[in-house]
Amino acid sequence: MHKENPYIPKITTIKSIISENDVNDIKTFELVFDKSEDYKNFKYIPGQFSELSIFGKGECPIGIASSPTEKDSIKFTIKKMGTVTTAFHNMEVGEKIGIRGPLGNGWPIEQMKGKNIIIIGGGFAFSTLRSLTEFILDEKHRDDYEDLLVIYGNRNPGEVLYKNDIKCWQKRDDIEVILTIDNEAEGWDYKVGYVAPVVKEVGPSPENALVAVCGPPIMIKTTIDVLEELNFKGVQILNSLEMRMKCGIGKCGRCNVGDKYVCIDGPVFSLAELRKLPDEY
Amino acid sequence: MKKKILLKEQIKKFYEKLRENYNFYGPIEENGNIVFSKILDPEDIILNYYNSKIPPKSVILPQKEILFEYEKKGDEIEIEEPENIEEKNIIFGIRPCDAHSFYLLKNFFEYGEYEDTLFTRKRKNTTLIGIGCNTPRQTCFCTSLGGHPFKKEDMDIFLVDLGEKYLVKSISKKGEEILNQISWLSDATKSDIQKAEKLSKTAEELISTEIDIEKAISILKNNFNHPIWKEISENCIGCGSCAFLCPTCHCFDVIDEEDHYNNRGKRIRIWDTCQFTLYTLETSGHNPRPSKIERCRNRILHKFSYYPSNYDLIGCVGCGRCINWCPANNDLRIILKKINKIDKKEESIVA
Repeated sequence: MHKENPYIPKITTIKSIISENDVNDIKTFELVFDKSEDYKNFKYIPGQFSELSIFGKGECPIGIASSPTEKDSIKFTIKKMGTVTTAFHNMEVGEKIGIRGPLGNGWPIEQMKGKNIIIIGGGFAFSTLRSLTEFILDEKHRDDYEDLLVIYGNRNPGEVLYKNDIKCWQKRDDIEVILTIDNEAEGWDYKVGYVAPVVKEVGPSPENALVAVCGPPIMIKTTIDVLEELNFKGVQILNSLEMRMKCGIGKCGRCNVGDKYVCIDGPVFSLAELRKLPDEY
Repeated sequence: MKKKILLKEQIKKFYEKLRENYNFYGPIEENGNIVFSKILDPEDIILNYYNSKIPPKSVILPQKEILFEYEKKGDEIEIEEPENIEEKNIIFGIRPCDAHSFYLLKNFFEYGEYEDTLFTRKRKNTTLIGIGCNTPRQTCFCTSLGGHPFKKEDMDIFLVDLGEKYLVKSISKKGEEILNQISWLSDATKSDIQKAEKLSKTAEELISTEIDIEKAISILKNNFNHPIWKEISENCIGCGSCAFLCPTCHCFDVIDEEDHYNNRGKRIRIWDTCQFTLYTLETSGHNPRPSKIERCRNRILHKFSYYPSNYDLIGCVGCGRCINWCPANNDLRIILKKINKIDKKEESIVA
């Protein structure tokens, strides 16, 4: 028997589409596999991604926004940006989407066990952090992890993703959720200010902790500075990188940073690992 | 197996025998250049050539290749595997450097968790009948990369041009099975073999370039921020010829081609290169390799640093195509020699 052609996607159907923000350029697509065996074989962990395709338009890599604990479907949050993502925004419930994956290493959920977990996100880059948060909050996993702190910043209240999920999180006593926006806005009852100064103000302890950070480059940079001031070490700070990708399986060449491919060696790297790589991402 | 003799006028007979079961590719002249193409008339085969312009990797890793086809049937989508993968190929007249590139590409495409079965299956179905280089080009430097104008290890059958005839030797089992089917080949004499040995020595002497590649590999581990990258990229025009004509370059883009009228389409891969801005340009506008400095550096480091560290191989065979065809006269031999002149002191200042 020949091994499978790795470029052939499995077929899924769009089950639901949720508009995530006020300007309506970010939507969450819920996909259901047409064949139950394809779903069974799609074993993923938070932080992994998939190559999604619209036949005739092309393929693009998108982080998985759902947690494997949410059964029967998988979710992807997609911002309208280029050819394929714009085509996504024109799709309707019931239409077909191709999927290859899960791809990449994902968040180190085993290494995170027994640790205090700090999740810091900025803007649209919150999707795989949502997956991680939902995963830890699941009743089967919650006891594996210690304190869970989520700090999530946005430009304005209308940009906050996953509003319903966050409401649920806020009602629980086994997670602390801190929301912030850049400038004051009417009706906003939470923090105001950039993510980095909010992290500084909250001042999480590096003791037995791991941090997962995702966001725009400037937010990542300033947040890392603050975390280091708070005595977090490079091995405790985890980032998920983005690079232009095509194949997602280490063959098409473009997503290398030094001798590492973001698609197969990442996308999650610790700050300590990133410091060994050239600054070319 | 004994070494055999194939007379030049027997090429036609040889071709007729093998084309029954194989797609028979060989070097022919097209628009003034030598290219590997499916042979329709054995008279077209030219074996007396320096090397092809487009490397023979194009036979199994073509510039444009179908990954799969699809058909929309109502709400459903049906996917069809590409068809030509199980066909048997012969690449006739391939040079030792290019045969070695097949070995490098096979290692790369089968590496890791995800095997590129499109490539590896085609490779398995392809037989290499190569020929030694009696007269290497001035730009050839295979001997610096562990190669040799008469290196036969990467082939299935190896030929030596003895003037009126070819000395034929089977190298692999695959090659032996093919030669067993051709009963009419005569045995080679001692003087044929001696002549081939002499030609091999003469060819080796014709290669004048000597580069210490191991030294370059070790220097490249440390000099990511060295000013040399600015210097060597200065006159690059970013045309990508070096990559498209390189027998070891394998990077590709993936795009969809839609046939709206028939509700069909295909996903294809096409050659792409790190020398193009668009290769790494992200939708946000961010580009991790925004100028030709980073792009030229990536090409050199991929071949002489990342390839060695990831696969324990060197991503260059010394064929000299990138030197011959660079419109700006950039010369990989000179680049490598410049790299080898970076001294330890300089390294520590910039690192």
